[in-house]
Amino acid sequence: MGNSGHFGNLEDLTSDSVFIYKSQVHLDVLSLEELVETEQCYASFGLTGLASPLQGITESFGAAIHALNTTQLTDGVINRSKRMMLDTLGVGLLGTRTAVFNKALTYSQLFTCEERSSVWGKSEMNLPPHYTAFVNGIAVHSMDFDDTWHPATHPSGAVLPALLALAETLPSRPSGLDLLLAFNVGIEVQGRLMRFSREAYNIPERFHPPSVVGVMGSAAASAKLLGLSPAQCSHALAIAASSAGAPLANAATQTKPLHIGNAARRGLEAAQLAQIGLEGNPAILDMHHGFGVYYKDYSPSAMAASGAFKWILEEQDVAFKRIPAHLGMHWVVDAALAARAKLQNTIGSFDLSQIRRVTLRVPPSKYVNCPLPVTEHQARHSFQFNACSALLDDKVSVASFSEAHISRPALRELLSKVKVETPPDNQPSFDKMYCEVEIETEQGHSHAARCDTFYGHWRKPLSQRHLVEKFSVNASSVLCTEGVEGVVEVIGNIERVTECSVLALYLRMTSNPQEELHCVNIQ
Amino acid sequence: MISTLQKTIRHLKAVRVLHKPAVEVLKHPAPEDTVTASFGRFISEMKPQHLSPVVLQRSKRMVLDSIGVGLIGSTTDVFELALQHCQYMYAPDDISSVYGRRGTRLSPTLAAFVNGVATHSMDFDDTWHPATHPSGAVLPAVLALSDMMPAHNKPSGLDFLLAFNVGIEIQGRLMRFSNEAHNIPKRFHPPSVVGTMGSAAACARLLSLDASRCSHALAIAASLAGAPMANAATQSKPLHIGNASRLGLEAALLASRGLQASPLVLDAVAGVAGFNAFYEDYVPQPLESPSDGGHMFLLEEQDMGFKRFPAHLGMHWVADAAASVHKVLVGVDPGTVSPAQVQDILLRVPQSKYINRPFPESEHEARHSFQFNACSALLDGEVTMQSFTPAAMSRPDLLSLLRRVRVEHPHDNPANFNRMYGEVQVTLVGGDILKGRCDTFYGHWRNPLTNESLRKKFRNNAEVVLPSEKVEMLVDVVEELDGLGDCRVLLSQLQ
Repeated sequence: MGNSGHFGNLEDLTSDSVFIYKSQVHLDVLSLEELVETEQCYASFGLTGLASPLQGITESFGAAIHALNTTQLTDGVINRSKRMMLDTLGVGLLGTRTAVFNKALTYSQLFTCEERSSVWGKSEMNLPPHYTAFVNGIAVHSMDFDDTWHPATHPSGAVLPALLALAETLPSRPSGLDLLLAFNVGIEVQGRLMRFSREAYNIPERFHPPSVVGVMGSAAASAKLLGLSPAQCSHALAIAASSAGAPLANAATQTKPLHIGNAARRGLEAAQLAQIGLEGNPAILDMHHGFGVYYKDYSPSAMAASGAFKWILEEQDVAFKRIPAHLGMHWVVDAALAARAKLQNTIGSFDLSQIRRVTLRVPPSKYVNCPLPVTEHQARHSFQFNACSALLDDKVSVASFSEAHISRPALRELLSKVKVETPPDNQPSFDKMYCEVEIETEQGHSHAARCDTFYGHWRKPLSQRHLVEKFSVNASSVLCTEGVEGVVEVIGNIERVTECSVLALYLRMTSNPQEELHCVNIQ
Repeated sequence: MISTLQKTIRHLKAVRVLHKPAVEVLKHPAPEDTVTASFGRFISEMKPQHLSPVVLQRSKRMVLDSIGVGLIGSTTDVFELALQHCQYMYAPDDISSVYGRRGTRLSPTLAAFVNGVATHSMDFDDTWHPATHPSGAVLPAVLALSDMMPAHNKPSGLDFLLAFNVGIEIQGRLMRFSNEAHNIPKRFHPPSVVGTMGSAAACARLLSLDASRCSHALAIAASLAGAPMANAATQSKPLHIGNASRLGLEAALLASRGLQASPLVLDAVAGVAGFNAFYEDYVPQPLESPSDGGHMFLLEEQDMGFKRFPAHLGMHWVADAAASVHKVLVGVDPGTVSPAQVQDILLRVPQSKYINRPFPESEHEARHSFQFNACSALLDGEVTMQSFTPAAMSRPDLLSLLRRVRVEHPHDNPANFNRMYGEVQVTLVGGDILKGRCDTFYGHWRNPLTNESLRKKFRNNAEVVLPSEKVEMLVDVVEELDGLGDCRVLLSQLQ
C-alpha cells in the first residue's frame, strides 16, 4: 500500500468500494499521478485494492496507544526513561528562574481554573493544567539544557510537563507506573513519526522538530493517561497535527522554549478535545497533506502494539547535555578543551595573546553558525562562542551564558580570530558529525583536536552518578535538600510509587520562598 | 506600557547590534532594512486617516457578514464542544463575549477561540483571493481584545476598523509572497498560516505596540501557525480559524510583555526557515510605511467573496450551474426533479482532492463535495443551510443522483478561485443533454452581493439566535462603525 501506485484488480474490491470504483471507471485517461492520488484517497477511507482493507496507519497508532500496557515495559526502557524524567525535571527546575519563563508565567496567570496543577519550583503557584504544561515545558527548554534524541528532537520536554499537569487533576490518581507507561508512549510515538522521513535524520532547516513531533507525543501520552479509546487516540493525533509546526527561525531566540511549552500544552488540549468527542481526519498520518505536510519526503508505516513490538528507546538512547546549549556545541567544546590542553602542555601555560587564529571544522548548519552572538539565546546556538568560551575559561557551564560573560572584551577579541570551515565529510547529523578545533599561535605552531563523540552522547552516555549530579546541581538552585532528594527517590522508584502526583509535592519544596520573587538573571 | 527605563535599555541593545565590530563581513541587511522590520513599522504607523472610503465600505461589509455567520455558527455541535471545553478547563471569566450566548463570557483568547470556531463552523464565512478566510481569524480577536481594554480606554469604532483592516491587509500581503498561495491549497490550510499572522497584526495595532514589538508579535505568531489540509472537511477545520484568532491574540499579548522572537521571520534566510517554512516558493517584499503616503490597501484592489450558502467556495460554481439545469428540467416536466429522468451527470471542475468526494458521510464532508452540492442544487434548485442536515443528506433521491455522477478535470479549469469555472452536464434518459455552466457565481468578488443581499444573509443568520431589535441594532451599528466614539455599542449587541 502507500505509495506503490498499484491499483489492484476489479474483482478484488469489496462491495463497498465497487460503487466508488464504478463511478471512476468512465473517467477518461487517468494519469499515473491521478491513479496514485485516488488510491491514496481510498486508502484514507480504509479501502485498498486488496480483498480485506488493511488497517490504516493512523488507526494503528490509535490502537497501539490504547493497547500498550505496563507488561511491555522492559528493564532497558524503564531505566532509560527514568533517566530522561530525572534530567527533564532538573533542567526544568533550573529553567524556572529564566526571563522567558517569567514572561510566560505572567501571561498564564491571566487564566484561572477550578482544576489546578503545580508550577515547578514555586511553593504555592497553581495554574490551569494547560498553562502549567505550557510554563513548565518552557522551563525545560529555556536554556537548551534538555535531552536530545536521534533523529533529532527534544522528546521529554514536550511530554513530561503535560503528563504531570494532567495527573494532578485526574480523579483516578494515576500511579507511577501509569505515568511511566504514558511517558514512554509519548516518546515512542515521536520516534516513530520521525522515522517516516529521511529529512528528519539531519539537523533541521525548516520546522523545529519538537514543534512537529513533540505535540503529537504529548497528545499520545495524554490520551494514554486519560485512557481514551483507540478511535479517540487517533483523533487526538489528528487534532494535534493542526497544532504542529513552528519555523526554525525562532530557534536561537527567546521564543524557542515556547515551542516545547506549546507542544506540551496543545498535545494535552488535543487529547482532551478528543475525549469530549471532537474529531479530525482519521487518516491524518496516512496522508501527504496530513502530517506529511511538515516533511519534503514522507513514507509512513503502521505501528503494532503487540507481538513483535519493540520500543525505539531500547535501541536508540538519548543524549543528555552537560552544557546548556545546542547539542552541536558539545562536540566543539570537547574539541576546544582538548586542543587547549595540548597547547598548554606544549608551552606550559595558556596565553590568549599567543593565539593568532582559531579554526573550527564543523558540519554545515546555518542556525548554529553565529560569529558574534549578542543574546544568551544566540550564544547557545553558536559554534564560535562555545569554542571560545571553552578556550578562555577551560570549561563551559551555566554561567558562561550570562550577559556579563557574553560581552567580555577578551571573549569578543578571541571571537574575532575565529574561522569556520564546513568540510564535505562533516554531515549535519547528530549521529555522524564531528568537530575539530585548531589553534594557531603567533609563532606559527598548530594544536588541533577532534571530537567524534562527546561525553553525554548516546554512544557515550553519562554515568548514572553524573546524571544524578547534574540533576542535583540544577535542582538545588531552586529546591531545598529534601525536595532534591525526594525527587531523586521518587523517580528512582517510580514504578513502585502508588500516586505519581506525590512528585508535585517535592517539586514545590523551594529552598527560599523569598528567592522565588527574583529571577536569577542569566541575561 | 514601556517604562522609560526599559525604553533606554532597549535602545542601548539596538545600538549595540548596529555597532558591533565586524571582522567577518556579515551579509545580513541592517536590522531596520529587513522585511520583518518593515511589517512591524507598517503596523505601528497605520492610522485611521489611511483608510480610504472604499476600504471602509468593504471592510464594514466583512464585519457584518462575519458577525452574522458567527452568530449562526453558535448553534453548531462543534461550537458547543469548543465552548464546553473552554468552560470546563477554565474558570468563568467576566471579560469577553461569546457570540449569541447571553451572559456567557470567557477570557479573551478563549472567546477569540470559540467565536472563531463559530465563524468557520459551517464554512459560511468570507473568502479572498489569494485564497483564505480572512475575517474569521481577525474579528473575534479584535472583539475579544476590545472587551479586555479598560472601560475608560475603549477603542473607538474607527480604531476598531483600523485594527481589523491591518489584520486583513497583512494577510493579503503575506499571501502575495508566494505563487503557491494563488491556487487552491494542498498542504497547509491558509487561514492557519496567514490568519494567525493577521490576528497578531490586528491585535498589535489595537494595543498600539511599537514597531519592534509589532515585529515580534508576527514572529511569535509564526511559531503558532500552520495546520495541514487533511483536517479540512472534518470537524476540526473550524478550529483552524478559532486557533488563528486565539493564537494571534496571544502572540500580541506576549509581545506586549516583551517576549522576543526572530527579527528575520519574514525574510528568506537560506538554511533557516522562517515564515517561508509554509511555502515551497517564497519571495518576500518589504511594506512601505503608510506615513510616506500612497499606500493602497489590497482590499481596495481585490474585493471579498461572500458565500450564499454554507459550503466551500468551489461549491458555489457547481451549485449555480446545476441550478440552471434544474430550472430547465422543472420547466420541461413541472414538479420536482426525479432521479429516474437522469441517466448521467458529468461535472467539469478543477482538480482538488479535498473537495472531490463522491459520497460524503458527514456534514463537513458534504460542504466539501462538488458532487453533493451539484446534486442538491439539481434536485432542489438551490443549496441552503438545510441541505446539510442529516435528513437532507440521506434522501434516497439524492443518493440516487450521487451514484450517477462522474467528474472530469479539464485542463483549462485551474484550481484557482479567480479563474475556475463549474460545468454540470446532465444526460437525460431519453438521450437529451442539458448543460449548465457558471463562470462567476453571485457573491464572487467579480459579481458581489448587493448590500441588500448581504443584509438579508445577515438577518437570516442572526435572527436564529438574537431578537430582531438586536439584529437591526447590529446592522445600524456596523454601518456607522467608523463614526462610533466607543465600540462598546457594538460589543454589547453580540449576545
